[in-house]
Amino acid sequence: MIITIKRQRDATSTPYWQSFRCDTNPNMTVSALLDKLNYTDDLYDINGNAAPRIHWECSCLQKMCGACAMVINGIPGLACATFLRNIKEDKLTLEPLSKFPVVADLIVDRSIIENNLHKAQAYLGKYRKPRMKDFPQLYSVAKCLKCGLCLEVCPNYIKGENFFGAFFANDMYLLSQQSADRNDKLKKEYAKHFASGCSKSLSCVNVCPMGIDTLASMAKMNRLGKR
Amino acid sequence: MKRVLIIGSGISGLTCAIETAKNGDNAILVSPYPSERSQSVLAAGGINAVLPNCDAEDSVALHIKETINIGCKIAGNKTVTALCKDAPKIIKWLESIGVVFTRDSNGNVARRAFGGLSRKRTIYAGASTGKQIVTALVQEARKWECKGNIYRMLGLVFYSALICDGVCYGALFHSEKSKKLVPVYADAVVFATGGQNRIFGKTTGSVLCDGYAAGKLFTQGAKLKNLEFIQYHPTTIETPHKRMLITEGARGDGGRLYYMDKGQRVYFMEEKYGKTGNLMSRDIVSKCVYDAPSQVFLDISFLGKKKIKENLSEVYDLCNEYLGLDVTKESIPISPSVHFFMGGLAVDIRHRTNIKNMYAVGECASIYHGANRLGGNSLLAAINSGKVAAMSISEEVRSENTPDFSGYIKDQCDIIKRYLESKSTFSAVYIQNSISQIMNKNLGILRTGENLIKGIESIDYYLSECNKIKFDSENSTYQGYSLSAMLTLARAILSCAENRKETRGAHIRSDYPQTLDIYEKCSIISYNSGKYDITYESEDEI
Repeated sequence: MIITIKRQRDATSTPYWQSFRCDTNPNMTVSALLDKLNYTDDLYDINGNAAPRIHWECSCLQKMCGACAMVINGIPGLACATFLRNIKEDKLTLEPLSKFPVVADLIVDRSIIENNLHKAQAYLGKYRKPRMKDFPQLYSVAKCLKCGLCLEVCPNYIKGENFFGAFFANDMYLLSQQSADRNDKLKKEYAKHFASGCSKSLSCVNVCPMGIDTLASMAKMNRLGKR
Repeated sequence: MKRVLIIGSGISGLTCAIETAKNGDNAILVSPYPSERSQSVLAAGGINAVLPNCDAEDSVALHIKETINIGCKIAGNKTVTALCKDAPKIIKWLESIGVVFTRDSNGNVARRAFGGLSRKRTIYAGASTGKQIVTALVQEARKWECKGNIYRMLGLVFYSALICDGVCYGALFHSEKSKKLVPVYADAVVFATGGQNRIFGKTTGSVLCDGYAAGKLFTQGAKLKNLEFIQYHPTTIETPHKRMLITEGARGDGGRLYYMDKGQRVYFMEEKYGKTGNLMSRDIVSKCVYDAPSQVFLDISFLGKKKIKENLSEVYDLCNEYLGLDVTKESIPISPSVHFFMGGLAVDIRHRTNIKNMYAVGECASIYHGANRLGGNSLLAAINSGKVAAMSISEEVRSENTPDFSGYIKDQCDIIKRYLESKSTFSAVYIQNSISQIMNKNLGILRTGENLIKGIESIDYYLSECNKIKFDSENSTYQGYSLSAMLTLARAILSCAENRKETRGAHIRSDYPQTLDIYEKCSIISYNSGKYDITYESEDEI
């Protein structure tokens, strides 16, 4: 298989493309492939030039931490959950997520996710037990990886602007359903940083590796807003 | 107001930071990545506590007894009592910060059976209890961050502790971004850096947990404890890039283990140990799976799609995605794998190490679990230890002025500079892989003195060579400088295993199959200029 990677030595250097040839099997994930490339004796690109090892981020390697989010053949996804058997062509293109600053190669700085939650003072306050029927959606929403894939695909999300994206809507839902004393504040932040900017393309729902139904969170938040 | 440096932002580090803030002190929470990337999110099954609506005849006393017995009587009575007594309060607190626990039909937190427990005592959140707890702790920590009592520093990996005359004054970190060393000074330093997974290569844990901090601190004078006790989880699956855990909750909810013999299923655990055989403690189940004559399977299909999707949806997804297997119709091929480290930094009941002002919490600390950890006690220990350490620190008297570390820091900066200047293409990963091969070959489920000595000789060879080798500087600098400490830790683990000439819990010696009274204590290992000294002490007296 030919693997083409968008490389960037560090945050300030100019990006470039580099291709590699690698023997693969269909049951490998993209993360297993990256490991294989990095662990070969000496890494050479397709033209026989010595290449620096590929920088990418990983921790759990099983779709539970969100570290390895990247753009795979044009589609944002997790490297550890993307199998080569599902890659249609004999070519694979890997790029860093485009909506975050690049740190090196496929590693990006996603600190804006937490910074925005901090800015909105997204915390619980006094606990209120939610209704039983809300537990499945709360459980699902609490599994958000903060991987940034929902922001990568969102047509409304532009870094540094007022619209915070789908993860924010889900976190606001999770908090407001369980907060006894900060509901008004949380609803206001939701309205300011999400409701007013979402055009409901729902690409975030399709791309979420945890299958979080953001539309359901939005419906609940909008209903809360009308009360 | 004290300044507390907490290294690692998983469950124990987050809890310690929150408690530090609640005590009116300031927490500096340092980690390479956000909490969502920590190994804590992989904890699946649940957290033990005896609640008011417990099973008939369950009690805190029984929880204590089972923890000590499963740990083969080397965990301390005082330490385990403190842990189990606090468990109900911990559940209450977790609920109050918004952990989405699974509920029973009355709306109370639900309980499930777990390995080695005689009663249903494990409170859980589906099969992603760790992740659910991390989410709530991150939100709670954010509250204190907004108030200015917790300050987070990301992108920094631990390099070394700043120690002078047996007192810790802070730590040095390496920034992969700036390629520089960054000192952080504090009144107390808490290590929450997790287990030693990477030393064993493919395990159920995070690749970020590599034991470097424990290894480095060991070379700086910190004592380590019970390193020979490494828990193999009996039910893990093999995938091309890692081993993945099938939660004990699958057996807690009724899952059965079997192998095939002449076309018939042999439910070997039930045949040997009766109805509850599938839920024996992890050391026993792992050894039985290891001894089975053919591939062992875990069957949960008979539980039905509804129950599996409700309680074990992560097991369904994992097997479907990584094995292409439908657990509602087929059995899961499983085998044991390295999962948890009972050993680590030696701490007392207040989570103090032998170095003043240095603490350890979570899996990097060794306490409570003895020779074998009770399923559901690791999350409990992670939270409890974070709370205890924060409280201990708040009660301590502040140290006097910080000594001048500028000479030491300059020397270390020169070392890093030399790593960066290297033109070598030799990747440090080769030696890392060799460490894991040596450890898996010579320190498996079943151990012999002969193999352990061979392992020690191999590690000694790499230790003698690794500081002479120049590594690929394009790789992370951390990979290069971490090797020596990881090798030293590997050597210490093998030494402890070789020295304990008996079988106890997770330490199974085929050449010493008996459990001996003379070893009914914890092993303590210390390092002095290349020498490894092992003593045996009672946990309550540390």
